[in-house]
Amino acid sequence: MMHCYLYLSIILFCLGIVGVIARRNVFTVFMSVELMLNAANLAFITFSRVHESMDGHVLAMMVMAVAAAEAALALAVVILLHKHKSKLDTNVFSLLKG
Amino acid sequence: MFADGLFIGFAVLAVLGAVGLVLFRHPMNGAMSFVVTLISLAGLYALLSAKLIFALQLIVYAGAIMSLIVFIIMFLNIQPGDLPQEETKLFYVLGGGIVVLPIGLFLAKIVKSLPEHSTEILGNNFGGVKEVGLLLFRDWLIPFEIVSILLLVSLVGAVILAGKRGTTK
Repeated sequence: MMHCYLYLSIILFCLGIVGVIARRNVFTVFMSVELMLNAANLAFITFSRVHESMDGHVLAMMVMAVAAAEAALALAVVILLHKHKSKLDTNVFSLLKG
Repeated sequence: MFADGLFIGFAVLAVLGAVGLVLFRHPMNGAMSFVVTLISLAGLYALLSAKLIFALQLIVYAGAIMSLIVFIIMFLNIQPGDLPQEETKLFYVLGGGIVVLPIGLFLAKIVKSLPEHSTEILGNNFGGVKEVGLLLFRDWLIPFEIVSILLLVSLVGAVILAGKRGTTK
């Protein structure tokens, strides 16, 4: 049964990567990153159950805190960019291109 | 087995929600289908007898973070004209799938080489609040404090980034 959980984690992680590299909507890219974090969390919890130690649970809580911090900062940046360009396309946000 | 049926149901819901997130055009539809993924992941955590993480997933992820994202999506009042024109989206998704497939197969091969282990629900307060809390404040105290500093820094950064810009000019 442990293998099924890890396969599911792999599938979710790969779907997250596909969402990041194939979509151009800022919000979809951001939520795909969150999906990858969640897939990593599922692997943590599965290994924590297999080894019957709770360190994976603590690590999953850390990942959730990092995701919350990332959400606060990324959404602030998205609001700023939308204020400047009124677009949500990642191809428009090429400010660093010389 | 009842737990196996629950696992299959939650797994199918999680994958369907993730596929919806990748394929929906409007970010609000994507956010709603991502909430389905998060809630079914919470069910999977409960099946893995991680009681505290189950509650935290529902409260923090599906509750706080997703409501923040949905709030920002509604706050920006996105019209269909604001969304990027993605006529070649399916082509890109297919190409991305072809790129990612070898990575996934490699990881699956690694998983296959691991010994199989049952994941029956553990008693003995495994994953309860008291046990995880004791571990968090004994062995993981310094990472916990570092994460609290990270949250403080991101709070200050978000206030500075999205705060009033007129007064600084």
